[in-house]
Amino acid sequence: MIQNILSSIFSAVFLGSILRVVTPILLPSLGALISNRAGVVNVGLEGIMLTAAFTGVVVGAAVLSSSGDSIFAAWVGLFGGVIAGIVMALLLAFFHLQLNGDLVLGGLAINILGSAGTVAVMTQLTGDRSNTSKLVSPTMPSVNLPFLKAIPLIGDFLYTVFGNQNVVTWIALLSVGVLWFFLYRTPTGRHLRAVGENPDATASVGINVRRMRYLALALSGLFASFGGIHLSMGYLTLFQRDMTAGRGFIALATPALGNNQPLGTALASLFFGFADALGIRFGTLQIPPEYAQMIPYAATIIALVINSVSRRRAAVARARQFRETQSAASTSLPPNASTSR
Amino acid sequence: MTTPIIEARDLVKVYPNGVRANNGVTFSVLPGEIHALVGENGAGKSTLMKMLYGLERPTSGQIYLRGEPVQITNPQVAIRLGIGMVHQNFMLVPSFTIAENIVLNQEPRRGVVVDTRKAISDTRVLAEQYGLNVIPDARVDSVPVGMRQRVEILKALYRGADIFILDEPTAVLTPGETDDLFAAIRSLVEQGKTVIFITHKLREVREISDRVTVMRDAQVIGTVNTHDATERDLARMMVGRDVLTTVTKPPVQRGAAVLQVRDLTYVSESGKLALDHVSFDVYAGEILGIAGVEGNGQTQLVEALSGLIDATRGSIRLDEREMLHQGPRVMREHGLAHIPEDRLSNGVAGDVSINENLIVDRFYRAPYTRGGLLQLDRIAQNGRDLIKRFGIVAQSGELPARSLSGGNMQKVVVAREFSSKPRLLIAAQPTRGVDVGAIEFIHQQLVDQRTQGLAILLVSAELQEVTKLSDRLIVMFNGRIAGVFTDVTSVSEEELGLYMLGAKQQSPEELARVL
Amino acid sequence: MSYSILTPRNVALIALSGLLSIILAFVITVIITNQPTIEAVIALPVFWNTFAVNLLIGVSLTLFIAENGWGALRILLTVLLALLIGFVIMVIISKDPVNAYRALLTGPLTRINRWGNWIEDALSLTLVGLAISIVFRARLFSLGAEGQIYLGASAAGLVALNVRDLPVGLLIPLAVTAACLVGFLWGLLPGALRAYLDANELVSTLMLNEIATRIYSLILASIKPASAGYMVSATFAADAVFPRIITGTRLSTAILFVIVAVILTWVFIQRTPFGYQIRMIGANPNFARYGGINTRRTIMLTMAVSGIVAGLVGAYLALSVNQKLILGISGGLAFEGIVVALLARNNVLAVPAMALLYAYLRAGAVIMQSEANVSLEIVRVIQAIIILLVTADAVINFMRVRRPTTPSNPPPRVTQAGQEPSVTL
Repeated sequence: MIQNILSSIFSAVFLGSILRVVTPILLPSLGALISNRAGVVNVGLEGIMLTAAFTGVVVGAAVLSSSGDSIFAAWVGLFGGVIAGIVMALLLAFFHLQLNGDLVLGGLAINILGSAGTVAVMTQLTGDRSNTSKLVSPTMPSVNLPFLKAIPLIGDFLYTVFGNQNVVTWIALLSVGVLWFFLYRTPTGRHLRAVGENPDATASVGINVRRMRYLALALSGLFASFGGIHLSMGYLTLFQRDMTAGRGFIALATPALGNNQPLGTALASLFFGFADALGIRFGTLQIPPEYAQMIPYAATIIALVINSVSRRRAAVARARQFRETQSAASTSLPPNASTSR
Repeated sequence: MTTPIIEARDLVKVYPNGVRANNGVTFSVLPGEIHALVGENGAGKSTLMKMLYGLERPTSGQIYLRGEPVQITNPQVAIRLGIGMVHQNFMLVPSFTIAENIVLNQEPRRGVVVDTRKAISDTRVLAEQYGLNVIPDARVDSVPVGMRQRVEILKALYRGADIFILDEPTAVLTPGETDDLFAAIRSLVEQGKTVIFITHKLREVREISDRVTVMRDAQVIGTVNTHDATERDLARMMVGRDVLTTVTKPPVQRGAAVLQVRDLTYVSESGKLALDHVSFDVYAGEILGIAGVEGNGQTQLVEALSGLIDATRGSIRLDEREMLHQGPRVMREHGLAHIPEDRLSNGVAGDVSINENLIVDRFYRAPYTRGGLLQLDRIAQNGRDLIKRFGIVAQSGELPARSLSGGNMQKVVVAREFSSKPRLLIAAQPTRGVDVGAIEFIHQQLVDQRTQGLAILLVSAELQEVTKLSDRLIVMFNGRIAGVFTDVTSVSEEELGLYMLGAKQQSPEELARVL
Repeated sequence: MSYSILTPRNVALIALSGLLSIILAFVITVIITNQPTIEAVIALPVFWNTFAVNLLIGVSLTLFIAENGWGALRILLTVLLALLIGFVIMVIISKDPVNAYRALLTGPLTRINRWGNWIEDALSLTLVGLAISIVFRARLFSLGAEGQIYLGASAAGLVALNVRDLPVGLLIPLAVTAACLVGFLWGLLPGALRAYLDANELVSTLMLNEIATRIYSLILASIKPASAGYMVSATFAADAVFPRIITGTRLSTAILFVIVAVILTWVFIQRTPFGYQIRMIGANPNFARYGGINTRRTIMLTMAVSGIVAGLVGAYLALSVNQKLILGISGGLAFEGIVVALLARNNVLAVPAMALLYAYLRAGAVIMQSEANVSLEIVRVIQAIIILLVTADAVINFMRVRRPTTPSNPPPRVTQAGQEPSVTL
């Protein structure tokens, strides 16, 4: 059985499935990252994802039934879902930035609103309280890359992993690079990071801190919305109540593990995707699915602990390192030459 | 007569909590001068500058720039009008490079991206023009404080500032760095800029400024040409009262050593060597004063001695018991009392009642807790007693501590710490930001308790306070003991100043006398 | 602290509620039993039980008013505003909003079983509200109550199903103790992670909740009788469940446990040295540490103690409400507890009244769903709006401006107004 597990873990199919399950974790993680960098923790990712996932399905289904073009309907659905998600994020932003509401409680309220609002409207629309299986909704298209097969030796492998992924998965992968470029190369991205690190300093040079935080929360809503869309219009083709299953909360932990960098966050998300995909594999091996389902959550806690322990170690190491350089310096320099804050 | 480049007329600032921080302030600065603004903590200097820079709006009054009335609604407007400010806490983004900080929000662009190369070359050109030495591509959090300050000045220059407001720029600098700063200020003025320099160090006023304005109690006391005024004159204008003369101090009757500190060393989490092999004793029945420019390790010393931070190495013995790594509870149980330097940050809990604030060190013991339950009547009784004994002006002990004035809040702290029957009292800045009456009261209490045999370690940035109250005096500089003075009355303030600024340092043999 | 509950106003309020309780109890008893005469009604235990429950409602509301003074009005206004916004939403999505809202707002009083459901839910919410208040008091953002409820319920259930041959009257205490112990441990874990390893408690408790629900499912799957068509345990034996006290409802003697829990939690927070530590950490952690309080240990134990109360909720749900273990036994109660704690401003004595208020809406929502065909989720939407309104300073200030009659001098008591914890990740 172990052999079974191992061989299936390193198969191309499995790697492809990791990319699939990682998408709805990676996207909200990037959302969490961008709002963290602006100094506003977005606890409402879960609710934003649900809102986007549901709106995408409903809008997509409506367009599909009137136009009959499923690709067109899917893109319109995506657009609608993203708008709805961003509206939720802006609601949180308004509550926190304009009304001085507590950001965490506001985020929790957004989650409840997303969870309950989607079910309420779904019940009203379809009469079904659990999912939208009565609606015919579109799926985001997959990107077929047949040229990968042409690559010698690893072509088949690459094609199995990347060749037929959903477009939202590609959005997720590209977002990592785009987000990096935005945060580190563009003036606006730098202002956003500056706001998170020292809001007073950025305010003193005329950057509108509140506006940057609005932007950060809206972008965070954008990414989370893509994640929600992937769940209901990529991974599945319908909306289920609470289908995010805590991914919006896991996404709160990934940026910290990824050192608050886009690439690091992507790697941390991959780790959760791996745990998730592993769980799904377990499920086929007649182990109760609950064991497998626990893995990502347990992994999050373990990672959280490792992260905070390593952060503390780093601080201690820094102090030790300084102590050494300090004692070396103090022999060669007069006492008042060695000062730093 | 030249038109002032910037002028404030009858500025009044009343904060929402009712504090009148500026009360009809009139103040003018001439173009091309270095104008010092001096006054004690809480005199209203910072508020005035915040209004000039648009961080606060005056409640009434008018600001004029080159003779024209202006409304400085926010720092943006100030920057556009050519006013730059270097804050006490630097307004820099730690993980950004120096060049990135300087061009922040006015970045040179190449397409949609920031032109980092141009930012660096711009920085270099500007730095050379004004003789402000910086490393443009170094991260701000990796360079020394002096350079960070130059970055702040360059930031203002990059934004086209003509008037520079420097808010206590030397508080965080070593003497060498201070010299560099002064050279930079002179270079600014030579190139036609105007500098407003806030400080509470008279020596610096003498050294750098053309004119000086003295503030006290939210008002301007006067403006004089620097070379027309002696330090004594300025000091009288600043203080305007002889607070300490009423304290009578009986001769010291020294008992046993209560606190013995040996080779205390502390490396902060950011890696700074904040305390460097500090050793001294405090005896029963004496006040040992610690003087020094703020930021030379006094804060860390107090926190280490009261168990709030874990010293890296060394020894703290309280009545012969080792206290390193023991934490506040154990230390308090062995007779430590501590008046912290910032009462709002840890001396009181503002939302909690005065009565409950008065028991934080003793709530778990009889008579306040019996049979696992808090004894509310005893807690209320304790509150009534202390409010009466220490003259705390409060309607009721049930009111939240936040409702008290600064002086009365400090009396709550003093009442709790004195009433714990301590063996050792660490008093850090015990009279900071409190009114005159409370200062006298607290000073008298310190002296009385010392005469009754308490060992007191007094840390204060107010040199007069430590010199008048202390029986012995230590000067700290750069995390070390720079000098020890067993006869406080025979040493001049000038002499102490040399130690405080690191210009003089006693030899190890001289220092050994303190042990 | 020389504060007394026996002010003339409060005595009057309690007397008034006593009078109303007698009348209500009489009406309810007549409905249940069809007894015609007063003597016959008074002779029935149902009458006295109903009277006691109603009196408790009155006492809860009186306590709430006593604790908050005019602030009570503000809190009620907030809820009314949320209901109004909810109504606007209902107008948009429902064909018959007025009828739906009537069902929501009057439903719980229309039938005895609905009344019972309301009170029963209020009891769970009271306990959850207490658990949440304890951690919020220390400004900890721990939402571990959900997982603790599940594990508390399974512990109580396993004891009820498996322990035999105990002396009479010991099985229930044993089951309750087991639930509390498990809740304690499941709170200790994230508490220790937070206190000693700086692991953010919000994320860790949310993850532990997910794990706890899976553990609960596994346990339930393993004890499910083969004959059961869906995921439930066997019904507990009579000596393992709280006896029911009012016919037609699931109200039981567990109500006494809830009363005791409220009183003990209040004593714990306000009158014990440990509660003092919690309050000081919540008010100013630096001050607490400076004063010699071991803040790490206190934080850890605060989360564990909150777990005890949450475990109790699990025991209540298993041993009293359901008398067996069912799938999804908590169903997000912890999040409902946040609303209760927020409305009560983490004030233990105000928790029961706010639990009654919020449970009323929840009970009404079920009726609204069945009678007006409007999704009961609308009440969770209102819940979210309440959270937003209660914590947004600006809204409250706006309402304060609109209410000039509010006395500017607050009563000389320490209120912990607005004491919500906040975290950064």
